[in-house]
Amino acid sequence: MVDSVIRLREGEARAFAPEARATPPPLGRGQLHEIHARQEDGAAALAFALCASASGGASGMAILVRMARGGRSRVVLNGDGLALLGFDPTRLIIVEADTELDLLRAGLEAARCPGVELVLLEMQGGFAKYDLTASRRLALAAERSRACVIVLYYDANPRATAARTRWSVASAPSVPIEADGPGKPAIEAELLRWRDGPADRRWRLEWDADHETFREEGNRAPMPCAVVPLSFVREGASGGGGGYSRTA
Amino acid sequence: MGNALRLMAVDGAAHALGLAPGMALADARARCPALMTLPVDPEADARELARLISAMARFTPMVSADPPNGIILDITGCAHLFGGEAGLVRQAVALAAYTCRPALADNAAAARALARHGGRNTNVRVLPVAALDLPDEALAALRRAGLHTIGDLARRPMQPLAARFGAETVLKLRHILGEVASPIAPHRTLPPNRLEARLTEPVIRTEDALEVIEDLLVQAAREMEARKLGGRRFVATFCRSDNARRRLMVETGHPVRDPAIVLRLLRERIETLADPLDPGFGFDTIGLTIPRAEPLPSRQIGLGDEQEEGADSLAALIDRLGVRLGTDRVRRIVPCDRHLPERAQALEPAMSTQTGIWPVAEHPPRPPMMFDPPQPIEVIAEVPDGPPHRFRWRCKLHEVRLYEGPERIAAEWWRRKGGEGARKAGLTRDYYRIEDACGRRYWIFRHGLYDETPQPRWYLHGLFA
Repeated sequence: MVDSVIRLREGEARAFAPEARATPPPLGRGQLHEIHARQEDGAAALAFALCASASGGASGMAILVRMARGGRSRVVLNGDGLALLGFDPTRLIIVEADTELDLLRAGLEAARCPGVELVLLEMQGGFAKYDLTASRRLALAAERSRACVIVLYYDANPRATAARTRWSVASAPSVPIEADGPGKPAIEAELLRWRDGPADRRWRLEWDADHETFREEGNRAPMPCAVVPLSFVREGASGGGGGYSRTA
Repeated sequence: MGNALRLMAVDGAAHALGLAPGMALADARARCPALMTLPVDPEADARELARLISAMARFTPMVSADPPNGIILDITGCAHLFGGEAGLVRQAVALAAYTCRPALADNAAAARALARHGGRNTNVRVLPVAALDLPDEALAALRRAGLHTIGDLARRPMQPLAARFGAETVLKLRHILGEVASPIAPHRTLPPNRLEARLTEPVIRTEDALEVIEDLLVQAAREMEARKLGGRRFVATFCRSDNARRRLMVETGHPVRDPAIVLRLLRERIETLADPLDPGFGFDTIGLTIPRAEPLPSRQIGLGDEQEEGADSLAALIDRLGVRLGTDRVRRIVPCDRHLPERAQALEPAMSTQTGIWPVAEHPPRPPMMFDPPQPIEVIAEVPDGPPHRFRWRCKLHEVRLYEGPERIAAEWWRRKGGEGARKAGLTRDYYRIEDACGRRYWIFRHGLYDETPQPRWYLHGLFA
């Protein structure tokens, strides 16, 4: 009992420590993560999933499993748009399933496959088959194959699952560019649950095109100011000097 | 020869007009203004020749190609089946359905010489020396020596001929005269990989039938390994004792011969059958055919080849999902060289496409998610071509806070019949990248300019991150 209290205190302490505050936990490999979003924020959630999991120079294949949807509200992914988010569209394979069971089975098989780096399962509200058992299976498969498995869950209430982290992602107002144009992609990510640390924290992240990742706003490396290059003075070149040394 | 276009081949009618291969196209046109020409396609010619060779297999098993445009048939012991030699020639010419110059001789080299240089002759000795198929200098040397026909050469002793004109001349001459055998290398069509198991006792359980299939697969793998092949398509045939038969087909993205992989795909196929496999009173014959096979060399397994292993298992995953959900449900995004944003990419089955390189976009940003088709919205905007101020999508009103645009994208008039005419090109689109008061970014467009249509409609086409 005492032990758990102490651990809780430690957790709190970590939450307020500056380095814990600074960066959101990455969506690690070999784990199951859940991202909740509203349908209108789908692009933001997708961007967050692709970028958070791609940190560390990912190059393996990514598999997106989704429901086959006919009719007038079909959403397709655009390769050019994905490329702008630093994700190579040729890495992506899109699998469409007819039923919830097929979707989970395909997702599980993809998660078990050794050559796959990222598995995205796209689900939408009231997905009855996705429960604690199904998510635990996905988590175990991810652990074994070291793939990053992400469930993109639209318009749904969070329920008890075996996910390592659970996020809620929404679009955030961007910093306008000149002439009142929309600026860089910006999102608001809220950490709802984290198995390895304190949750209930939120970040406002902005797209950083140089590093091809999302970063917290106002917390980036200082802009390099104009630096006058130092000229090399060869040691011993001039007879009289001798006091100069090469500065590296 | 310069850059002049020349005739490569002429048909009978053109030949009658005095046209011949090698003539400049301009000269030929001058002689015959109504001349119809086609560009030369040697690959298509080779394919057609291969097709004809396979067709000729009905006359004799010994058929060989004489490129670029000849076929040699060894009809020893076959002619009587087709009404004698003349009857066989008639049938072969009819089957080829081209202008043919058939010739019959005792050996392949003589028949070839007669067909190419003989006209209506049947005696090789009267043929010109060109029939020897020697280089031009050698032919010129022969003619200068006063030797114009094969007969002239054949009358002379061989040794001085060999000393003066080279051993090759003599060898070719002896081929044509039949003094040296001139064997042909017959084209052999490999039998299709077909295996069959006849069972003394019919099997009823699917598991047992699959075990039989596994045995067949192991046999097939052994045969394919010897021929360095891998199957791309496997067909299992289950014949019931009451003569009903059922075929199951599986396809793979890469050639395989591992029985376990194919068996797993077949199991997958059986599980997803809408109409389950009904054994009735049992299957008494089970067959396996591999109609499509591709070269698959045996591979040396390196130490720590994890990447290769990963690629293998990914290909297997694509095959498996393709069998279960349908090949067109497992797809890749492929770039297309098209103008309209929704046509600039296509989804192609992952099994049949290879990964390429995504081209670097040179246009303003595109959203990662797009609606197909674009969703109609109601917009309040300045007329004629101002930016939108607010819009209603899915019964919700959005205030536009920031906007960028327009990016004007014209319709693909060059793909439309009569699209170059005024008002026939299709509607121009003006795309705006906007952000609403909640901070969501959208890609919306006005379909048509005001001078194209009186009431242009607005659509929401995509969502930006």
